[in-house]
Amino acid sequence: MSSGSHGGARVRRQWLLWVCVLIIATLTLVAARGDIEQSHVALVFLLVVLGGSAGGGRALGYALAVLGFVLIDYFFQAPYGLISVGKALDWVVLAAFLASAFVATELVARAREEADNALRRTEEVASLSRLGSETLRHARADDALNAVASLIRATLRAEWCTIRPLPATTEGGSWTSAVPPDADGMTQRRRGVEERLVSAGTGEREASENDIALMVDDDVAMVDSFDKSDGKRRIAALGVPLFAESRLVGMLIVGGSQGTPLSFDPASRRFTATLSYYAALGLERVRLAKAAAESNELREANRMKDEVIATVSHDLRTPLTTIKLLAQAAAKRGDPAAASIEEQADRLARLVTNVLDLSAIRAGIVQLDLALNTAEDVIAAAAVQAEGQLRGRRLATAIDLSQPELVARFDFVQTLRILGNLIDNALRYSPEGGEVEVSAARVGEWMDMSVMDRGPGVALTERARIFDAFYRPRSEPPDAGSAGLGLSIARQLADLQNGSVVYSAREGGGSVFTIRLPAVDWDPSTVDDE
Amino acid sequence: MNNFSETPSRPALIDSTTILIIDDEPAIRRAVVSALASNEMRVLEAGTATRGLELATTEHPALFLLDLGLPDGTGLDVCQQLRRRTAAPIVVLSAGYAESQKVALLEAGADDYVSKPFGMRELQARVDAHLRRAHIRLYAAPSVFEVDGLTIDLPRSIVMRESRHIRLTPTEWCILTVLARRAGRPVTHEEIFAAVWGQRFGDSSLYLRVYLTHLRRKIERNPSQPRVITTEPGIGYRLRHE
Repeated sequence: MSSGSHGGARVRRQWLLWVCVLIIATLTLVAARGDIEQSHVALVFLLVVLGGSAGGGRALGYALAVLGFVLIDYFFQAPYGLISVGKALDWVVLAAFLASAFVATELVARAREEADNALRRTEEVASLSRLGSETLRHARADDALNAVASLIRATLRAEWCTIRPLPATTEGGSWTSAVPPDADGMTQRRRGVEERLVSAGTGEREASENDIALMVDDDVAMVDSFDKSDGKRRIAALGVPLFAESRLVGMLIVGGSQGTPLSFDPASRRFTATLSYYAALGLERVRLAKAAAESNELREANRMKDEVIATVSHDLRTPLTTIKLLAQAAAKRGDPAAASIEEQADRLARLVTNVLDLSAIRAGIVQLDLALNTAEDVIAAAAVQAEGQLRGRRLATAIDLSQPELVARFDFVQTLRILGNLIDNALRYSPEGGEVEVSAARVGEWMDMSVMDRGPGVALTERARIFDAFYRPRSEPPDAGSAGLGLSIARQLADLQNGSVVYSAREGGGSVFTIRLPAVDWDPSTVDDE
Repeated sequence: MNNFSETPSRPALIDSTTILIIDDEPAIRRAVVSALASNEMRVLEAGTATRGLELATTEHPALFLLDLGLPDGTGLDVCQQLRRRTAAPIVVLSAGYAESQKVALLEAGADDYVSKPFGMRELQARVDAHLRRAHIRLYAAPSVFEVDGLTIDLPRSIVMRESRHIRLTPTEWCILTVLARRAGRPVTHEEIFAAVWGQRFGDSSLYLRVYLTHLRRKIERNPSQPRVITTEPGIGYRLRHE
């Protein structure tokens, strides 16, 4: 890309040169007018037109052709010194000269354009291949982006090139290559231009604002703030939004200076768009490298939390096992206190489980294995688990075997914990000899599993708080055997699985706690059609 | 509970069976010894993995009770090393929080686990069941099972309850066979997947738990209180064998 002012001077020199050549040729031929024929003059002028169009381009070629036409008529066709044509043959000469001159000019100009294009393509391909290797060569993603920025700057012969991630990160990292190396004033101006481009490019500001034009066709934002006095547009900087998988990941900003603004014809804009893929690729690489590092840290942190919880679990449950085994041995020997010791040990074990559950939830390390499970399976497992805690209450599981299995997507272990906590809660508030019912039903998009008791229910004023951790109803005696964790854990574990736990009053007295999980539609014939 | 075609009566335990408990907590070891030791059973103790592996080589215990919080080796390592030395049942005493750990241990060669805090009766039942199974395995693998009134005849591919045939689909039969071959031990979801669907992890394998629920409806007396196939939460399923 040659800069405008430089190219202009060269073209002016060519015009001057070839017009002079034409004048000299005319004077020389006029001096020898008696000895030569019109065709000789036409050939010489044709040579001048060819030279002019080769050196100065299409416009100069045409201008020389027209000038030659007039000069032939004026100096070399009788009557001399007049713009008029005497003989028909003179017309033929003039027309042949003009046609040959135009065709020659056009051919030379096209050849030149093609040569220019070829040259530029070669440069583009070379710089693209350099970009490709720069992107891959650097071990660190940061270095690769710096290299890409400086290559783009060099290729577009710009003053500076910045690659910015979007949305802006808190660290504010961006990659800039600038020539001359950032001076204070320059940096400030560059930052200002970048801000304007980013807000225009991301649609934060109206595109029609004074000095920013948004190029709709190429999705390119431009700043043309230089020297508008002559009515011509000078592009100060150009911003290309960078996309990866149709996600805006950043912006490539290329800028010129007051002395050498950027020139951006459609071809170079296309090329810039191609370069932008590399910048986008580089930004993606930086982002992925960072995400990988973060996920490693996160994994390590989670592993440590896991380990702590496993150790605490072991250290708390092992002595409880000893107490339980010793209590059972004492009961065998007829110790009346043994049964109570064992019961308390079991209670403490449940509390340990709840505290560990709560810790795991708060530490964010609950591992979910969301799979297709059936209500029957988890309810049966909960019933087995509750067997030791019934203390004179009954647990009834109602499953309608005439209907296909109820299938939902949930984590079996965590849902069993939820159900266990709800059943534990229901048993605790059930009167001696009372019955706790567990049932399941499909309700629209959900699979509901309900745990129902005939306890005192929950007062209206307390309903909002029963799911808070460590909350215990005011009516409850302090030794009721609950730390107020079960319902809170149940709700949080359900939330984690995109479900919920809700309370409703039971008709005829008592409570209904319902676990709601995403149901899965399935074709019962899949398990029967073999 | 179970009858076996080749060994019609319940076999007696081998005279003076030796079992080994590897646990760093002396109180647990003492409690387990006092719970299990009898005229027919000698209970050895080891407080470290090193000592446990030593005794495994010199004493040839018929069963191992393995705690996971040993000071000189992770449970997984010790389990693998034991499995390399012996075919005797390994029952893990698990106080772990994550079920994935139990699955890893089963894959590493453990036969079963008991979750802490466990009771004496539970431990006793588990130990007896595994000793019995190991003893039978020495003579013949059972091929006809009777569990809770259900007869599973592997060689003849027949399932019956109260002399009434139960029709199973090939997939259901395949699942039941996998569980029966490992009767009394937990079988992980992955093991069932692999045995039933092989490498074809298609849509139908996603429905394993649905297939199982369906199977239960056919073979259980009361599907909401399964007695033949019990669920091992987070791990898999177990065909009862007690």
